[in-house]
Amino acid sequence: MSEFAIEARQLVKKFPARAGTGDKNGTPAPPRQRWSFARKEPKTTFTAVNGVDLQIERGEIFGLLGPNGAGKSTTIRMLCTLLEPTSGTAQVNGFDIVKQANDVRRSLGTVLAGERSIYWKLTGRENLEYFAALYHIPPAVAKKRVEELIERMEIKDRANELVEKYSTGMRQRIAIAKALLARPPILLLDEPTLGLDPQAARRVRELVAELKREGHTILLTTHYMEEADQLSDRIGIIDTGKVIALDTPEGLKRRIDQQEVIRLELTGWHDEIADKLKSISGIEHITTRQQGEADLWEVSLHAQNSRAALPRIVEHISGNGTRLVNMNVVKPSLEDVFIHLTGKALRD
Amino acid sequence: METSLAPRSLGRPGLGSDVRAFLAVVRREWTIFRRYPSWIIALFIWPLIFPMLYILTARALAGPDGSGLAIFMEMTGASDFIGYIVIGTTVWMWQNIVLWDIGFALRNEQMRGTLESNWLSPTWKFSYLLGPTGPQIVSMSMFIGITALEFGLMFGVRLNGSVWMILLMMLAAIPSIYGLGFAFASLIITVKEANAFVFLVRGLVMIFCGITFPISLLPGWMQSIAKWLPQTYLIHGMRAAAFSKAGIAELLPDLIPLLLFGAFWLVVGYSAFLWMERRARRTGAIGQY
Repeated sequence: MSEFAIEARQLVKKFPARAGTGDKNGTPAPPRQRWSFARKEPKTTFTAVNGVDLQIERGEIFGLLGPNGAGKSTTIRMLCTLLEPTSGTAQVNGFDIVKQANDVRRSLGTVLAGERSIYWKLTGRENLEYFAALYHIPPAVAKKRVEELIERMEIKDRANELVEKYSTGMRQRIAIAKALLARPPILLLDEPTLGLDPQAARRVRELVAELKREGHTILLTTHYMEEADQLSDRIGIIDTGKVIALDTPEGLKRRIDQQEVIRLELTGWHDEIADKLKSISGIEHITTRQQGEADLWEVSLHAQNSRAALPRIVEHISGNGTRLVNMNVVKPSLEDVFIHLTGKALRD
Repeated sequence: METSLAPRSLGRPGLGSDVRAFLAVVRREWTIFRRYPSWIIALFIWPLIFPMLYILTARALAGPDGSGLAIFMEMTGASDFIGYIVIGTTVWMWQNIVLWDIGFALRNEQMRGTLESNWLSPTWKFSYLLGPTGPQIVSMSMFIGITALEFGLMFGVRLNGSVWMILLMMLAAIPSIYGLGFAFASLIITVKEANAFVFLVRGLVMIFCGITFPISLLPGWMQSIAKWLPQTYLIHGMRAAAFSKAGIAELLPDLIPLLLFGAFWLVVGYSAFLWMERRARRTGAIGQY
């Protein structure tokens, strides 16, 4: 058995490119022989995952971060056997994801993004009983396990109500309970806190930490940097289908500890100012985020030397209808590492 | 990392576990079916509406003295024109409902978002298609029973033949009717939208299988096509079983083709499912809306 809980080598997934989508990663496939009976190849393919290597140790929480369309979900879908890789291999709990797909499924508990993975016309308890049967849990064991999870997820009072009457947070707890039913050694959690209110999200994060203490290996994808930073033992950053960095959160932050991040809050932001700021020597990345509906912008600048850059920054943003509201220099966060590596914010 | 802490899976694979999983799919489907109250309308109103169209048309065309009906009954050999029409339309409705219910079983799961979470389990995948068939056969039996009751009470339709022979014909038709549904279900997951195919198949059954007229009225080339449709034998056999004293021996010319078509469509349905499953893993079709 592999020493790793999950091990992927050069995983590649290509999809036929849809007509008119103009995929920037689209690559033409080789021409087909005129009289060949071989499978018809699509004219262009879109490479969603492009040679991912992963080695996730048993018992660790591994965070997989990337902007939308980076290949996180495709990677997860290949590891949980919903998708077959175009090339490359992966093992989950020592089982090959293509040749031993059912053994992989028995080793995994998966929570896919979105809240519709359970039946809204069944009660919470009926959902868990149903999935317990699908995961081949003997009836006597299943009965006990369902009660245990209902208790643990704090839904005992409402376990016999239809899921359609639950809040988003409660549905997510049922989805997590479903993944835990067979007590699988490995959990794949795809955006487990997406769309949850802060209190429900905190409860899910606490639960993930508890599951790690119980010995589960967890592969977590998230849009929330703080969540990844707080929970993950190691983080892989994925962009355009490739893992571009892999380290502990601290290790990743050390990569840019020579840099400082200047955060500005201002009104009247326009692209001309961005061009001027980019021209300042030592400024490497600029990201902007509009705060709410108002004309208030948060601008982050990665600088090699903030002391040298600050006077020129102030000079460029003065006048022209722009007003500086606040400014400070901070240590780089994981999000800053992400921006440094990918050139874009996680939500781009 | 501490590997000694790693939890051990509670799942116990085996035939018994697969059977329990299949039964769980049946139970789930039945529970959800009961929670949509519209099934009451489907069960009590729909059996009347569709045949009524043809019954009233027949009465209108029969002339003021109803002489047309006597000619019709002489031509078909039926003792009751309403019963004759009801058997044809009921078979058509059975196939139609199976195409929508079983044909769209996986697609509905896909749109609900639950197909992937089912697919992630180690259960035999065909259970997800076979499971809904059980409740569908139960609800269809209720539908046919209510049809018989309603037309018996409201229109005085009486059977001269044997209920057991009618049931035997229906039993023999299950593999071909549901096998076609399985093939449809796999096709629909692949192409996402198959209303046109459903309309085509039910149109073929309506025209070629003689749901309201004897197929001897059709031109020769149409009769040749009718011989390749299992519903032709089902309708013919059910009418013989309902309105004559036909026994198994007399029904064999309809029973044997029905069973052969059944074997064919079950193989086609299962093969289509396996093809769809392999294709879905390659293309990600299970998760695509």
